[in-house]
Formats: sequence, C-alpha cells, structure tokens
Amino acid sequence: MARIWQTAREWLSQFWADLKASTDAGLLAVPRFLGLLYGPIDTRLPIDQAWRKALAHRLPPHVGWRHALGGIAYLLFILLVVTGVLLAVHYRPSVSEAYPSVQHIVSGVTLGWLMRDLHVWAANFVVIATLAHMARVFIDAAHKPPRETTWLAGILLFFVVLAFGATGYLLPWDQWAYWAVTEALNVLAAVPLVGGPLTSLVRGDPIVSGATLSRFFAVHVIVLPWAAFALLMFHFTVIRRHGIAAPKYGPVPAGPGRRFFPNHLLRSLIVGVLVCAVAISAAALWPRPLGDPADPARLPEAMRSTWIAVDVSRALAHYVGPWGFAAFSLLGLGLALMPLFDRGPERQLRRRPVVAALGALFFVGFLAAWLAGRQLGSTLPQPAPRRAVPAEAPPVEAPATADTTAARDSAR
Amino acid sequence: MSRAASLAVMVACAAALIPAGPAVAQSGGERVTIPRDTTYGCVACHADKRTAFIMGVHAERGIKCHDCHGGDPAATVLPAAHRGRFVGKPDKVAIVALCGSCHADPNRMRQYGLPTGQLAEFRTSQHGRLLLGQHDLNAPTCTDCHDAHTILRPDDARSNTHPTNIPATCARCHEDAAMMGKYHLPTDQFARFRRSAHGIALFDEQNFAAPSCVGCHGTHSALPPTVTEIANVCGRCHVLVSQSFDAGPHAQAARDGKIAGCLGCHSNHDTERVPAEHIAATCAKCHAPGTRAHTLGVDIQRDVVQATLDLRAAEEAITRLTRAGRQTGDAQFRYRTALTAYLEIAQVQHDLDVTRLEELTRRVRSISRDLRDMAEVAEEHRWEHKLYLVPVWFLALAAVALALLTLRGLERRKTGS
Repeated sequence: MARIWQTAREWLSQFWADLKASTDAGLLAVPRFLGLLYGPIDTRLPIDQAWRKALAHRLPPHVGWRHALGGIAYLLFILLVVTGVLLAVHYRPSVSEAYPSVQHIVSGVTLGWLMRDLHVWAANFVVIATLAHMARVFIDAAHKPPRETTWLAGILLFFVVLAFGATGYLLPWDQWAYWAVTEALNVLAAVPLVGGPLTSLVRGDPIVSGATLSRFFAVHVIVLPWAAFALLMFHFTVIRRHGIAAPKYGPVPAGPGRRFFPNHLLRSLIVGVLVCAVAISAAALWPRPLGDPADPARLPEAMRSTWIAVDVSRALAHYVGPWGFAAFSLLGLGLALMPLFDRGPERQLRRRPVVAALGALFFVGFLAAWLAGRQLGSTLPQPAPRRAVPAEAPPVEAPATADTTAARDSAR
Repeated sequence: MSRAASLAVMVACAAALIPAGPAVAQSGGERVTIPRDTTYGCVACHADKRTAFIMGVHAERGIKCHDCHGGDPAATVLPAAHRGRFVGKPDKVAIVALCGSCHADPNRMRQYGLPTGQLAEFRTSQHGRLLLGQHDLNAPTCTDCHDAHTILRPDDARSNTHPTNIPATCARCHEDAAMMGKYHLPTDQFARFRRSAHGIALFDEQNFAAPSCVGCHGTHSALPPTVTEIANVCGRCHVLVSQSFDAGPHAQAARDGKIAGCLGCHSNHDTERVPAEHIAATCAKCHAPGTRAHTLGVDIQRDVVQATLDLRAAEEAITRLTRAGRQTGDAQFRYRTALTAYLEIAQVQHDLDVTRLEELTRRVRSISRDLRDMAEVAEEHRWEHKLYLVPVWFLALAAVALALLTLRGLERRKTGS
C-alpha cells in the first residue's frame, strides 16, 4: 500500500513539475510531454522557438485598458464564429425550412437558445466594440503614418462586420426579418445611380424571396468569414510590424515594457471573461423573440429590430431620406479614407478642427440614428412600390364610373 | 363643293393618312386583333365610337355598328349611310328591346352559354316597372349599367359590373339625393355597405364571393326583398345559420311577418354582427327584462362572451409560443378545433339551443386553457435560463479575481526585483 502511495506521489510531483514547466514560455511542453509526435516535427519546424519568441514579445509601457477594445472586438468575433458554426449545424437555408429549423434550434437543441441568443447579442456588441475601437484610434490619431494600412484594414473589417449583420438578419425568415430586409433594400434601391442595380444583384428577385435567402446565407457563411479572416490576419500583421502608436502627449516612456505572457494575456483574460459573462447575461435576460413566419403577402403588425445597423439605416431613411442616407454613408466613407488626406504630424484633436468635427458628426450621428431607430420600432414598413403598367399595354379608357372604391373613399 | 363631296374628300384623306394597321383590343385578359376595315363607312364619322367599341366583348364576336344601329355601312356619305333600317341613337325603352332582341333569344345565346332571362327579369324589377310601365326616364336601361359601346365581361376589372365596381355603379343613381328624393329612398346605402362585413370582405379582402348589391337585390330583377323573403335571401349564403334559424322559435314569427327575418337583430346594408356584449340588449328590444326569453338571452350572452374571451386567450397563447421559438403546429391544430367550435356557437345561437351552446363554450374553454398552459410552460423554461447566470458569474468573477491576484503578484515580483 505504502509502495503504491509512494509511486502515486512521485507521479503526481513529476506531473506537477511538468505542468509548471509548461506554463513558462515553452507552453508546448504539454503536448511535448503527452505525445511523441511533436518532437520530430519540432526539430524540423522550430515551432517551440517561434512560440517562445511570440510569447516573449513586450508591449510598450503606455498600453492600458483602453487598448483592450480591439481585443474585445476580436474576442466577440471568435464568439460569433463558434456560435455561428454550431447554429449552421442545425440551420437549413430554404424558404420552407429556415423558420422551422430556427424553432428547432431554440426549443429542440440542447442549449440551442444560448447559441442563438449569444450569436444575436455578440453581433450587436461587436458593432459597439468596433466603433469604440475606431473612436479610440481616431481620437489618438493612431492612424497617422506609418499606420494608414492598419486603419484601412480596420475600416474594411468594420464593413465586413456590418455585412455579417445585414446578411444574418434575414436568416430566421420571420416577419420582422423579412420586412426589415425588404425596407432596407428599398432604401438601398433609392440610393442614386448605384442603388437599383446593386439591389437587383443582392435580392436576386423582384421581391425578397428564396433567391435572396440563399444569397444571404452563402455570403454570411462562406464569403464574409474568409474576407474577415484575411483582413484580420493583415490587421494583426501590420500591428506587429508597426507596433502600438506612441502616446499622444509627452515622450515615449522608457523601460522594457509589459510582457505579453503572462501579464498582457492575464489582462486579456480578465476582459475576455467579463465580455463573455456580459454576453451570456444579455442572452439569458433578453432573448431575441421569434416573429411569425415570413409572409410576403402580409405586413407585420409592428416592426421590431434587434440589430443596430437596421435601426440606424431605418432612422436615416425615415428622417433624412435616401439622399441623407447616401450623404451619411459618404461621410463614413470619407472618414474611412481619412489617412489619405490627414497625413500631418499633428495628433491633438483641438488642432485638427475639421477632422474632429467630421468625426464627431459621424459618431454622434450614428448614436442619434440608432436611438431614433429604436423609437421607430412600431412603425410599419412600406411595401415596395408597384411597377408601372408596361408600355406596350393598350391604353385603357376606363369609363368614368369604373372608379374603385378606394378612389371614392379618398375623395370623401 | 357640296357637303357630300366634302365628306368624300375627307374620307379619302383620312384613308390615305391613317395607316391601315390592325387595332388591338384587350378584354378579359385576351388580346384580340381587329383589322381596320377602311371600307366600313360608319367609322368615317364615328371613329371615337369605334375606339370605345373595340375594347368590348361585342367587337370580339364580330358584331358591328349596323347590327344595332342599322344604316348602310357600305356607304361613306350621308344620307346614303343612314338609309334603310336606320335606328340611330335609340331611346331608353327601345334600348331594352334592342338588347333583348339578341339576349332574350336562346338560339343566339346558347353558343356563348349566356342566360336569356335578363329581359324577363328586368320587366319584374323596380327599374323595369318604372321604365317600361311608367316611361320614367330616371330609371336605368341596359346601357346605363353596361355602357353603350364599351361592354366588358363581368370578370374584367374595368367593367361596371365587376363585383368590386357594382356598388359604385348602383351608387351613381342611388347616391343622387335629388333623384332618390322623388322616390323617398335613402342615399346612404353605399356608405353603410362599405363599412359592413360584406363591404370589408369585398373591397378590403377582395373576396368576390362576398355579396355586392346584386347579391341580395338581384341583378336584372333588382328589388328590395320583402319582409318574409329576408331570411331566405340571407340563407342563400349563410346556410347553416339559416338552418338553425329555421329550427328556432323566431322562424315562425318571420314567416308570419311579425319580425323582419334576420333584420330583426341585424341591419340590412350595415350587416353588422351583434357584439357579444349586446346580445341581451338586442333581445330586450322585443322581450322585456325579467321575462323567460330575456333571461335566455342573458345566458346566451354570458356563454358567448366567455367563449370570445377564451378564443382570444388561445390566440395570445399561440403568439407567446411563437415568440418563445416553440413549434406551434400542434397548438395551431388545437386552436383550429376551438375556432370551429366558436363558429358553431355563432350558428347555434340562432336556434337558442342553450345546452349545445354550453357544450361548445366548454370545448373552447378547455382548449384555450391547454394552450395557455403550453405557453406558460414555455415561458417558465425561458425564465429558468436566467438561473444559468449564477454559475456563469461565479466562475467569471472567480477567474477575474484569480487573474488579478496573479497580476498583482507578478507586478510585485517585478518591483521587488
């Protein structure tokens, strides 16, 4: 008995020593300890060496909690990928099956409700986090040379995030999704010059239909993930190459800086755990209800939006019209291309009044449009305008008495 | 230059200038090509009439101007064109005979599958009695409703006799206060019909099976139903309700002319349902409160109100299930059963069979309760999801605390070194 106990203690102390060794920069000591395959691979590909180099990286001393916003957006993106893959296992992208499959996910799959609501809430939080990250970079003027490409890649990522939400919003195929997308596409169609052709391309049919659903699903789960993956890799690579921007005020602090491992990763863990807990709380406390099944022949009793970009676009279309929507989009595009014309060394906002005003207009406008869009929650959408009578149809000389009842009613 | 010579020159010029291409008419969804016959003399002067005429069904069947108006279509000048059996513009009474000459002839109408009783029916109508009997020219003739030249099929949405256009066609005269004043008739029928159940079904729901004016009054034999006819008129569509009504105590009173059939409780052009809350008050119009009949009305009202509330609760339960993401196929099926029972209640009220009424009410209530239970279970499950937050936040805060302590230790170690 004592011999067995002695052996167990030796084995445990050895395991503990190996485990402790695995928490240093050589984190891959664990797979090395557990498997025989890693050794031969590592001798040919210096994985361990690369890993140690990456973990030994040091961040500048001025990097603080506010620099975590980008990391939060990245974490939410990972959360969206994980929950999205789990949802895609059960989701069926066809007009007849989409809605029942979402019902099945919510009520028939173990923790399916959590998958779906976490996906919905993470989709909202990722927009907020990305905007906050962009605002931080904008205020710090961290986009100035040589970091223009970092900013542009980030802007493209933001558009990818918006496109993810726009395409994912239709997938439940309920009345709210159907009519919100119908209205959003009507707004897009009203945009001068490019609106009409672009809407036809996106919709694939005169109305939102199975063709639209297939397109949105394909873009949501195939095109955008690859685009996001490529842009993220590029974004991270240029961040590593150019480093974190120096502080706006005062000299660059001296010192070796903060170690990436374990100090920075521990901070990231704290932020990440809190973000996940908040997202799970939102999913449990405010689940996204399901509307009635989509019916192109019937308007919903009330509109309900659960995604920020839908609120913003509806408010812009409602209060400032298609031209206002186009102008606001151009303002956003102008800010996106800001590094091309705002290339001076000056980084303080008060000495860049035009840029500061435009930036404030966009961010405040976005926030105001979001809040206004929430207030429009119960406004019914307008159906697409009817097509005119084809030109080749013979002129109808309807008798004066053949007026419809609607005409009679309107005359009263 | 004489008048005839001028006319001949004009016709020649018109024939030279106007291309002799085919005219295209569209009627009833069919495109019909009618060759322009430049030798047909009537159009030399009456081109506008041709434009209206070729849109109609008569042009499709090869009927031409001279078939109704007479004259000589081979002639392009006056007076030759108006020679022979020339009718010109017939008066209102003559129009009835003119249309009837074909439409009352079974040998002509058989090929088109059209009825031939319109003329006989028209003679029995109030319109026919006034026009043919009293030569009252306020009364309409055939062309007042069907148009003189643009005669379209009733299934053509442009037609005056299309179901959705019939009320407006009738209202042209029946909303004319000056004209109706001569006959002591009201002019608000159209407005009342428009807001009635029938009007909503016809105009808003585009349900062409819903009756317009002609559904109750007849088409060519238009007359208001008499008191003893009303129950039969309504019963043509409301068959089950009519059967219940006939089985109940009110049927004999209606046959005796003591009550105006269905209009005893419902109105004519408004055709409103009696709201569930007003059933007893409606009974009280004839049966004094406290009488056995009125007490029966109160009992019926109680059951119908309860069934209405239960049905609404069932609908809300299905909405709650839908919002919670539950599959509602079974619930919808059960709701349909409740709805069938509820509709049967509307029928059973008319024969005053309280036993059957209570049985149906109980069925609605039972299904409604089941659906509400299903919705509450779904919401209970949803509420239980909140309990997951306890371990989630416990683990999250523990991880954060551990990470903060480790960080502090690392910082201290760094400061110490």
